[in-house]
Amino acid sequence: MAPEQGALWYKNAVIYQVHVRGFYDNNGDGIGDFEGLAQKLDYLRELGIDAIWLMPFFPSPLRDDGYDISDYTSVHPSYGTLEDFKQFLLAAHERSIRVIVEMVLNHTSDQHAWFQESRSSQDNPRRDWYVWSDTDSRYRGTRIIFIDTEMSNWAWDPISKSYYWHRFFSHQPDLNYDNPIVREQMWSVMKFWLELGIDGFRLDAVPYLVEREGTSCENLPETHDIIKELRRRLDREFPGRMLLAEANQWPADLRPYFGDGDEFHMAFHFPLMPRMFMGVKLEDRKPITEILQQTPEIPDSCQWGLFLRNHDELTLEMVTDIERDYMYDSYALSKTMRINLGIRRRLAPLLDNDRRRIELMNGMLMSLPGTPIIYYGDEIGMGDNVNLGDRNGVRTPMQWSGGWNGGFSTADPESLYAPLLLNPVFGFQAINVLSQKRSEHSLLSWMKHLIRLRKSTPAFGSGSIEFLYPANHRVLAYIRKLSNETILVVNNLSSSAQAVELDLRAFKGNILIEMFGKNLFPRIGNNPYLLTMGPYQFFWFRLRQI
Amino acid sequence: MRELIVGELSQAAQEIIRGFAHFLPRLIEMLVIAFVGWVIAYLAKWIFRSILRLVKFDKLSENTGASQFLNQAALPSPTELVSRFVFWVAWLGFIMLGVSVLGIGGLQQHISRFFLFVPRLFVTLFIIFFGLLLAGFFSRAALLAAVNANFPSPRLLSISIRAISIIFVLSMALEELGLAEQTMRLAFGIAFGAVMLGLAIAFGMGGKDLARQFLERRLVHERKGEKEEEPSPL
Amino acid sequence: MAEESILTDDFIRQLINVGEVDLLVGLPTHNNAKTVETVIKAVQAGLLKCFPRERTAILNVDGGSKDGTPDVVTGASINDLRRVYNIHALRTLPSISTRYASSPSSETSLHTILSAAELLRAKACAVISPESLNIEPEWVVKLLRPVYQDNADFVAPIYRRHKFEGVLVSNVVYPMTRALYGQRIREPYASEFGFSGRFGSLFLTQHSWRHEPGQFGTELEMTLNAITGGYKVSQAFLGTKSRSEHHPDDLVAAMRQTVGVLFSSLEPNFATWSAVDGSKPISTVGPEYEVTLDPLRVNRKRLKDMFSAGVGELESVLRSILSQSTFEALQQIAALDEETCRYPAELWAKTVYEFAASYHKSVISRDHIVQALVPLYRGRMFTFLVENRTASAEQIENGIEFLCREFERLRPYLLEVWNGGK
Repeated sequence: MAPEQGALWYKNAVIYQVHVRGFYDNNGDGIGDFEGLAQKLDYLRELGIDAIWLMPFFPSPLRDDGYDISDYTSVHPSYGTLEDFKQFLLAAHERSIRVIVEMVLNHTSDQHAWFQESRSSQDNPRRDWYVWSDTDSRYRGTRIIFIDTEMSNWAWDPISKSYYWHRFFSHQPDLNYDNPIVREQMWSVMKFWLELGIDGFRLDAVPYLVEREGTSCENLPETHDIIKELRRRLDREFPGRMLLAEANQWPADLRPYFGDGDEFHMAFHFPLMPRMFMGVKLEDRKPITEILQQTPEIPDSCQWGLFLRNHDELTLEMVTDIERDYMYDSYALSKTMRINLGIRRRLAPLLDNDRRRIELMNGMLMSLPGTPIIYYGDEIGMGDNVNLGDRNGVRTPMQWSGGWNGGFSTADPESLYAPLLLNPVFGFQAINVLSQKRSEHSLLSWMKHLIRLRKSTPAFGSGSIEFLYPANHRVLAYIRKLSNETILVVNNLSSSAQAVELDLRAFKGNILIEMFGKNLFPRIGNNPYLLTMGPYQFFWFRLRQI
Repeated sequence: MRELIVGELSQAAQEIIRGFAHFLPRLIEMLVIAFVGWVIAYLAKWIFRSILRLVKFDKLSENTGASQFLNQAALPSPTELVSRFVFWVAWLGFIMLGVSVLGIGGLQQHISRFFLFVPRLFVTLFIIFFGLLLAGFFSRAALLAAVNANFPSPRLLSISIRAISIIFVLSMALEELGLAEQTMRLAFGIAFGAVMLGLAIAFGMGGKDLARQFLERRLVHERKGEKEEEPSPL
Repeated sequence: MAEESILTDDFIRQLINVGEVDLLVGLPTHNNAKTVETVIKAVQAGLLKCFPRERTAILNVDGGSKDGTPDVVTGASINDLRRVYNIHALRTLPSISTRYASSPSSETSLHTILSAAELLRAKACAVISPESLNIEPEWVVKLLRPVYQDNADFVAPIYRRHKFEGVLVSNVVYPMTRALYGQRIREPYASEFGFSGRFGSLFLTQHSWRHEPGQFGTELEMTLNAITGGYKVSQAFLGTKSRSEHHPDDLVAAMRQTVGVLFSSLEPNFATWSAVDGSKPISTVGPEYEVTLDPLRVNRKRLKDMFSAGVGELESVLRSILSQSTFEALQQIAALDEETCRYPAELWAKTVYEFAASYHKSVISRDHIVQALVPLYRGRMFTFLVENRTASAEQIENGIEFLCREFERLRPYLLEVWNGGK
C-alpha cells in the first residue's frame, strides 16, 4: 500500500510543507484538520509533489505553534483523531504521496505530563528527565536563540525551587538526553509513528540535545552519538524511512550530521536561502556561488533540503552584519516585517509579487543540488499578514477559492484560527487555487510544469554540479550532470536584459534543447556560447549529442 | 604733286584707319577677354574660398603650423592666400590670352615663355618664403632646446643652424629658377663647407669645456657618492 | 564618415559583462607591476568597505606594459581582503583591463576611462595613480563620496607634500588658475581625482581628443573644464603623496603639460576669466594644505646659473614675448649674484601674464613661447627655494598666498596686454 520503497526516494522528491491547521477545514470549526487535508490530497498529487511534511500536530498548549508538545503519541483534538490521521496516511499512500512527520526531540511543553512530574519534587523518578540546576550560571557559553523574548537559557521553577534548562521559550524545557531512559522513551515515540506507516521524520532542533560545560552546547559529539543510535535502529527496523535534520548551522558545521551516511539522510541548507534572495537583489551571483563553494561534499546517500520560504522567519543568522543590514533594507524595510534575526514574510510579497522573480527563484530552487521543499501557498503566490504576532503572518489559511473564507472553511470568518488575507493584491479573491487552476498561465500551472520537469530530470536530484563562471557576474550558470544526462542551467539575476558568453567548449558538438518548450538552440562550437537573456530569465537546457 | 601728297596721305590715313579698324576689334576683344577673365577669376576665387572654408582649411593649416608662419609674416589667413593666388593666376592667364589675340609678332613667343616661367617663379618664391620662416623656426627651436638643456653657447648653435638653412634654401631656390646652376652649386659647396669648418672649430673649442664639465660632473658625483635631489616640479 | 573607436571589441565585451555600475575606478598604467598591486588592494578595500552595496568596477587602461601589469590588476582577487582588511564583499567587484594601441598617453587613458564610465553609466568615477604607494583605502572613498553623495562634479586631491615638491604647481598653475578662474584648487593637475558621470560624459563629448602620442595634461584641461563649465568642484585631503615617477623631471615637458594647457585654455574661456573678480575657497574635506619640512639638498646655484644664462641667451626670443620694461627688469635681476638675486612675485606674475598674452597672439611659435618660460621659471624656483630655506609650513603657505594675491591683483594687467600691442 505504501509507495515503492526506493531507498533513495528523497533525493529526487519534491516535498510540500504544510500545517494541518491551515490547509482545509472539514468540520467547519475554523481550524484545518486531517479529514480536510485528506480531501485535498488530489490537489497535491496534481501539483506533482512526492511527499508532505506535516508540521507538529500533537496535543499542545500551542504557545509555540505546536512545537511545544504535551503528548507525543496523539493528535491535537482540533485536527481530528489518531484514526483520522491513519485514514489520511492511507489516502496519501494510495496517491503515492509520502508523509513526513515533524518531531521535536529536544524539548517538551511545560504542560507535558513528564515535566509536570519532573518538577513536582526533587526526588521524583522523572526528575532526571529534564535538565535541572540550582544556579543559572551553568553552560555560560551558550547563545540565546530567541533574543527578542528570552533573557536566559535558564528558567526558575517556583515549584521545585530550581532552574531548568531551555534553549527556546521558557515554556519549553529541554529533555535530558544524558538519561538513557529518556533516549529509550523518545525512540519508542518515533517507533509509534513509524509503525503507523509514516515515511520519515523531520527532527526539530537537533544540535541542542546534549549540554556540556565549557562548550556552546551545540553540535556536541554526544549529540551525534544519540543520532547515530536512532539511525541504526531506524535502518534495522524500518528500512527506507528518512530522517531530515533541522539544524540552523553553517554547511561545514552541518556536515557532521550526515556522518558517514549513518546519521541524517537530509538536512536543510539554511545559509543558501538568504543568499538566493541576496543574489537576486544585488543582481550578482557572488553570494550564491560563494556559499555553494563553501558547502562540503556529502555522502552519496545524503541530500540537502532546499527551500525558499518556510513557516519560520527568513533567517539571517548565517550572514554577515553587512549582508544582514542589506537584506533588512532590501526585503524588510518596515520593522514589523522583522523578527529575531530574520524576516517574517512569504515568498511572493518578498519578491514584490513579481512573477518573473518568483519564477526565477523557484527555477533555482528546483535546479540547485538538493531536494526542494515548497511551503504551502507559495505555489499560488500567497501573501502574508505582518500584523499578526510572531510568525503567524505566514501561517494564514490556504486560499482555495474566491468564495466563503476563501474556500478554507465553512465556519464564521471570525472563528477561523487566523484571519484570511483580504487585501486586493494578495487576498483570497485575487489569489486562490480555483482561479489559478482555470488559467494555463497562472503561477500554479507554471509550478506544475516546473515540478514535472524537475522530476523527469534525475540530474537535478542526484547529479553533480559544476559552476560556469561567465564574465558577466549577473548570470548564474551551472552544469548538472548524472551519468549521460547533462543539464545546463543559466539564470539571469538581473532586472535588465543581459548578454552572456558561456565557455562550453567541454561540451562541443552538443545541441541545446530548451527544456520548457523543447526547442532547439544552436550547436556548441569552439567559440564562447552567446546567450541573450531577458530580465530575471532562466534557461534549462538539456545537452544532446546527436 | 599736291594730289600725290594728298593721295599718299589719304592712303596712309586710310591705311592707318584700316589698320586701326583692323586692330580695334582685336583690342576690344582683348579687353572683353580681360574683363570676362576678371569675372571668371573672381568667381574662381569666390568658389575656392568657399570650398576651403567648408573643408576648414584654416584649421588644417593651423595644425600643420603653417598658419603660425603666416601670422608671423603678417600675411592673411591661408584660405585668403590661396584664393587670392588662384584669382591672380587665372586673371593673368586671361590677360595673356587677350594680348595674344592682338597678334603682335614676337610677343606671342615671349608670352608662351612667360607662361612656362610663371610656375617656377611661384615655386621659387614659395621656397624662399617658407624656407626663411623654417630657418627662423629651427634656429629658435635649437636655441631654446640648448638653453633648457644647459648646453654651452646656444646662440652659436642657433646662428649656425640659421645660416645653413638659409644657404640651403637659397641654393634650392636658384636651382629651381635654373639660373647659373654650376656657379650656384659651387658657391653653395664652398659656403656650406666654410660653415661646417667654422662649426667644427667652434665645437672643438667649446667642446673642450663641455667635455671637461661632463667628466667633472661624473667624477665629482661618484666621489660624493650621492646625487643632489631635484624636487619634482609637479 | 565613421570615426574609429578607441574601444576594442574585446573591451566592449568586457564592459558588457561588467554592466551598469554606480562607481568606477580608473587605473591608467604603464609598466607599474611593482606598485600596482598595493594600489589595487587599497582601491578594492576602499570600495568594499565604504560602498558595500554599490555596484563597482575597477578599470585598468594600460599603455602597453611589458611587465605584466594588466595581469596583476585582473588577477587581484577580493577574497584575500578578508585577511588584510577584514572585509567580506557583498557583491562581485570586477576588475577589467584594456590596452590601447598608441604609446603611453594620459590623454588616451583618460579618454578610455571616460568612455567606459559613460557606457557603464557610472554615477561617480575616480582615477587613481598606480604609483601611489602611500595610498590608503580611504583615498578612493574621499574622491568618490563627494560626487556620489554630495552632488559634486569634480573632486581634486590635496596631498601632504614636501615643501619643495610641486613648485611649478604652487608658483604658476595654482596661482594662475585661482586668479583667472576664481576657484582655489590646490592641485589642478593631479594624477588622482574624482568626477561625476554627468560631467565625465560632457567632457567626453566636448573635448577634442587629439590622440597624439605622448599627449599629457588632459587632467588639467578637465579641471579647468569643470571650473569654467560651472560645475560643483570640491577638494579632498588624501595623504602623503609619494614622489611621482609619472611626472617628467624634464621641465620642458612639465611646462607643456601645465602652463601650455593653461595658456591655451584662456582663448576659449575669455568670457569667463575676463569677468572673474577675486577668488573663492571651495568646499574641502580635510586640511587645505600640509607640507613636510625635511631638509632637501637642491643645487640652487645651478638653477640661478641657468636662469641668468637663459635671460642672456634668449634675449631675442624674450624680447618678442615680453614688454620692454619687464625684460629690462629681468635683465637686472639676472645680472645679480646668487646672494642678492630674487625674482619678486609681482614681476613673476607680470612675466607669466605677458607670456600668456603673447601665446594668445602667437607672436612666435606657441610651443616656443612655453619653452622660453622654462629658464625664467628656474629663476622663480631659485627664489622660492632661497626664501623658504628655513621657512615653517605656515610661512610657506603665507608666501604662496601672497603670490596668489599678486596674480589676482594683476589680472587686469593680463586683460590689458591680452589685446593691446606690446
